[in-house]
Amino acid sequence: MRKVGHIALREFAATVGTKGFLIGLLLMPAVITVMAIASPRLFNQRNFRVQGQLAIVDPTGAVTSELRTAVDPATITARRQEETRRLLAAAPSAVREMAQAAPANASQGTEIVLGPVPNLTVVARPPDADVQREKEWLTQEAQDEARHLALVVIHPDAVVPANGGATYGTYDLYVPSGLDDRIENVVQQSLRDAIVAARTRAEKLDRERIDALIRVDRVRSVMVTKGAERQTVGAFNRLLPFVFAGLMVFGILIGGQSLMTSTIEEKSSRVVEVLLSAVSPMELMAGKILGQMGVSLVVLGLYLAMGIAALLSFALLGLLDPWLLFYLTIFFVIAYVVNASLMVAVGAAVNEMKEAQSLMMPIMLTLMAPWILAQPIGRDPNSTFSTVISFIPPVNTFTMLIRMTSITPPPLWQVWLSIGIGVASAFAAIWFAAKVFRIGLLMYGKPPDFATLIRWARAA
Amino acid sequence: MDAAILLRGVRKTFGSTAAVRDLDLIVPRGALYGFIGPNGAGKTTSIRMIMSILFPDAGELSVLGHRSALEAKDRIGYLPEERGVYRKMRVGAFLTFMGHLKGLHKADLPQRVQRALERVGLAGTERKRCEELSKGMLQKVQFVAAILHEPDLLILDEPFSGLDPVSTRQLRDLILAEHRRGATILFSTHVMTQAEEMCQHVVMIHRGRKVLDEDITAIRRQYDPRAIRFEPLDPGADPTVLRSLAEVERIDRIDGSYEIHLVAGTDPGSAMQRITMAIAPARIELSRPRLEDVFIGIVADEAGAGESAQQLRADLRDLGASGATA
Repeated sequence: MRKVGHIALREFAATVGTKGFLIGLLLMPAVITVMAIASPRLFNQRNFRVQGQLAIVDPTGAVTSELRTAVDPATITARRQEETRRLLAAAPSAVREMAQAAPANASQGTEIVLGPVPNLTVVARPPDADVQREKEWLTQEAQDEARHLALVVIHPDAVVPANGGATYGTYDLYVPSGLDDRIENVVQQSLRDAIVAARTRAEKLDRERIDALIRVDRVRSVMVTKGAERQTVGAFNRLLPFVFAGLMVFGILIGGQSLMTSTIEEKSSRVVEVLLSAVSPMELMAGKILGQMGVSLVVLGLYLAMGIAALLSFALLGLLDPWLLFYLTIFFVIAYVVNASLMVAVGAAVNEMKEAQSLMMPIMLTLMAPWILAQPIGRDPNSTFSTVISFIPPVNTFTMLIRMTSITPPPLWQVWLSIGIGVASAFAAIWFAAKVFRIGLLMYGKPPDFATLIRWARAA
Repeated sequence: MDAAILLRGVRKTFGSTAAVRDLDLIVPRGALYGFIGPNGAGKTTSIRMIMSILFPDAGELSVLGHRSALEAKDRIGYLPEERGVYRKMRVGAFLTFMGHLKGLHKADLPQRVQRALERVGLAGTERKRCEELSKGMLQKVQFVAAILHEPDLLILDEPFSGLDPVSTRQLRDLILAEHRRGATILFSTHVMTQAEEMCQHVVMIHRGRKVLDEDITAIRRQYDPRAIRFEPLDPGADPTVLRSLAEVERIDRIDGSYEIHLVAGTDPGSAMQRITMAIAPARIELSRPRLEDVFIGIVADEAGAGESAQQLRADLRDLGASGATA
């Protein structure tokens, strides 16, 4: 066991001491930080202003004036502020506090997110205008405020149903080629507001009263547990399965890839036979797997610590069940041992990295599975599909963890049954890897295929 | 007998190729054994089985009294033919790591490493990375890794391959020093003169089968070539006078001297007397049997028409040359 420890220690030190590891370790936080800083600038709306003219053919005579009101900058600003207020009401308190503490005033903040207030001019065309001729107006070149953005033809029954019926008409919208989606969205929303306003006026109803009647703010649900209550955050619940699956996959990839690379290097540099003069193949393999598991746990621990720090700073730590971290560690160790054993076997079987690619394909596919499965399982964590797949190795560890991070976690017996199956699969993987490792390490020449690996495992 | 290595009927096949066939071998404790044979004879496979790196398909094996070398690895030093180092690791760290794996205590390891490096003439290289050393220096480092723990059994697979003559001599002295310390030594080589110079006992292997297992002195007695090496004082002397002697069977000219083959049953002493009386000698001596000749004699006899002595000799000379200069 002491020898296994020495091998593990060397493996760990040789990996974490490289510049590549440090760069890889810092890469993900660096990318997240850069994205956090850069994305508002990359995707900012401030440089994009919706401006131009809307032509309207309105046989009802009621929509045009309402449309002028709807595209009025003051109306749009008020509408945006109301949307922002509703979003903040459903956000965590830390986000609300940040929004309130922001130096910019409310309208400036909204402009940063949604872009400048549109500058639209409504051009009224005769109610009986020839639509075909009016369409030509759209193809005429004009710049900035005079740009022809859309032609709207209101249906005659858009405000009052025809023949006393209950069904309202709508409108036709014609736009020039290459019109930005954002402009069309503003036009459609403004038209919707204008037509609804015209209809309520026609019915002699109080628009503000109706708005007040139909408005119910979405609130954050409160999770009640024994002796405690805490508010949930929908986005957090949806994100958690992806985060946990991502942590596991990333940790396994970092340790597993290093393990495979170092095994190939030891084999190609012929140092492996020197090592085998001092330790058994099983001790060598165990030491290497443990050493790289240390590397993976360092990575996992670091990212978890960063995540917890982020939750603490947003006062959201209460949302994270500490037991989930316990199970994450257990499932990670199982998944790591299974995948690392297979990767070390591949490393021992081949002579160089490029030969490993075809043998790595099935391992990579199982590591891709969480990304594919996270959404269907997260949506319905107790369906037959979700339940069955959380007992099938080697994906059971990922899928069970996804189920556990969902809103309706599985019963505890299922969790421990999956752990039991995972432990058994880990032993099976070690058994297979040990056989391939022992034979493969001293085999040079043509790289083996799967059939050869299985033959080695049966022969050893 | 208290054997350091004991093999009985050991066999190993790879696919349809039999690498080692029914090998019996006993290496007594404290002995210096040469394991010789051409490349591909099965030496490395046999050694790997002794080291429990490979496992035999059949037969029994015992190393230092254990059924597997795995149980006695800390008492065995091994320099494999395919040797390597962690190229980015420092020499001192590499040797310390190997010392740990050989069960040495942390406390006295630095001193041991330092002493061993001084002994092989590599003092002051502890902080150098392995990749900074020459091939000869690396080979010495690898030898140090094999003897750092003062093993009871030292197994060296082609230890001289790739070394220049000076390094070869240094390594030979180090191996002999380990033997004097009391270590049992088994080393393989395809360069037969090296085994001839160093070993007390040789085991010859050819195509996976043992063909000879004898003391060097017994080999010399047993395989007397009945030949005399003769160099005349007058280089222009006519050798035909020697052919008329009744004791002489045949005369071969080799580089300005003659190899005189005697008729079976001839007393070499009286033959030498008669030769010197016929032509004044500058040098005359009994030609000692070389392992190469012994090997070729045995293999050619066994193989019959399958393998000519000339071809075997040419193969061995090629191997010897490549082994000395590689």
